[in-house]
Amino acid sequence: MEYVNPEGLRLDGRRPMEMRQIRAEIGAVAKADGSAVFEMGNTKVIAAVYGPREVQNRSQQISDKALVRCEYSMANFSTGDRMRKPKGDRRSTEISLVIRQTMEACIMTHLMPRSQIDIFVQVLQADGGTRSACINAATLALADAGIPLRDLVTSCSAGYLNSTPLLDLNYVEDSAGGPDVTVGFLPKLDKVTLLQMDSKLSIDLFENVMQLAIEGCKAVANYIREILLENTKQLEYRRGL
Amino acid sequence: MKEEGEREVVTPGEVLGKASDVRAGRGAYLAPHNNLVYASLTGFRRALSPSPDSPDQRPTVEITDHKAHGAVPEPGSIVIARVTKVMAKMASADIMCVGPKSVREKFSGIIRQQDVRATEIDKVDMHLSFRPGDIVKAIVLSLGDARAYYLSTAKNELGVVSAESTAGATMVPISWTEMQCPLTAQIEHRKVAKIGG
Repeated sequence: MEYVNPEGLRLDGRRPMEMRQIRAEIGAVAKADGSAVFEMGNTKVIAAVYGPREVQNRSQQISDKALVRCEYSMANFSTGDRMRKPKGDRRSTEISLVIRQTMEACIMTHLMPRSQIDIFVQVLQADGGTRSACINAATLALADAGIPLRDLVTSCSAGYLNSTPLLDLNYVEDSAGGPDVTVGFLPKLDKVTLLQMDSKLSIDLFENVMQLAIEGCKAVANYIREILLENTKQLEYRRGL
Repeated sequence: MKEEGEREVVTPGEVLGKASDVRAGRGAYLAPHNNLVYASLTGFRRALSPSPDSPDQRPTVEITDHKAHGAVPEPGSIVIARVTKVMAKMASADIMCVGPKSVREKFSGIIRQQDVRATEIDKVDMHLSFRPGDIVKAIVLSLGDARAYYLSTAKNELGVVSAESTAGATMVPISWTEMQCPLTAQIEHRKVAKIGG
């Protein structure tokens, strides 16, 4: 099947190096300490952060760091067919673990010993790249909650189809069975915190695809920063300063 | 109105300066591998000038946070608590306010027999000092054990601030050990706080 036509356009009309449209909103869940909605094209994800608060299960308390818990689930209506088991299945457990490890690397847990930070991410609409959208939403929610972070973690995926590196795969391109590289990146510190890949890719092509995903991460980071600055200015206006 | 250019908004990960020029305050941290100070919160950046007699003359940069976090009791802070249980050697209380701020989630505190007052501490009768439902003003002694903070009312201005008599009316303090009910004129024993001059 042709994923990149001879003119160089993909199935949804994008160029190979073009990301989908990003949109983010802070403060969607009023009861949570921090929350955000993040959209990448048709993929829509909502994240809510609770914490730092007292550890609910005393046996899991860590004396010198905060405990970070993460739960990823997909809404029943998020995919085309109504899903039977939205959480607790292997894919959700794996993605929960991946998001937890990524966020734990950038939260300054040593500043909040004996406490717990809960990150809940739910996919409202799934069209490929849900893992990346969840990490971006979780970063925004953590920054909204005022939890100290080393840097903003941003994530983007890239693939390789029809001999072309493609940035930000949607569901159709993802299910083509080609390689799918997901990168979690700290833009200001210039460090990679998450690197996952499906399928196979030769090592020299892998370098190109990973760099493309990193460029995508930097673009997402700029957008997230703008959203945070805009939100802070709005809060200041409302406080009358 | 907000002054442009004087106060800058920063997001986590932005560089605030070199470690040789600035010191990392609240909301900032020092990355050891390249000696730069980065921001860890989103907010306005403020520079605090150092005190003139300190050996380190670098200004401290800190980020003002926007989320209102609930207050947390610290050793030495004055708290308002409601007594929940009175036992032979101690009384449990739920801490409701720390200083002028109310808390977001419940904290437990304990007032031990030896911390009720400053004199004759081994002759204290807990039931003549507190009753369940009393509002007390106490000072936090320490973080205590895993279950509760340790509180003390061993000062003149600490102790029961407001209490209800068995008849249901708010009692009036008459001395540092007694309160009287305005409806029934019954006198009940409490460790009363001295409010005012």
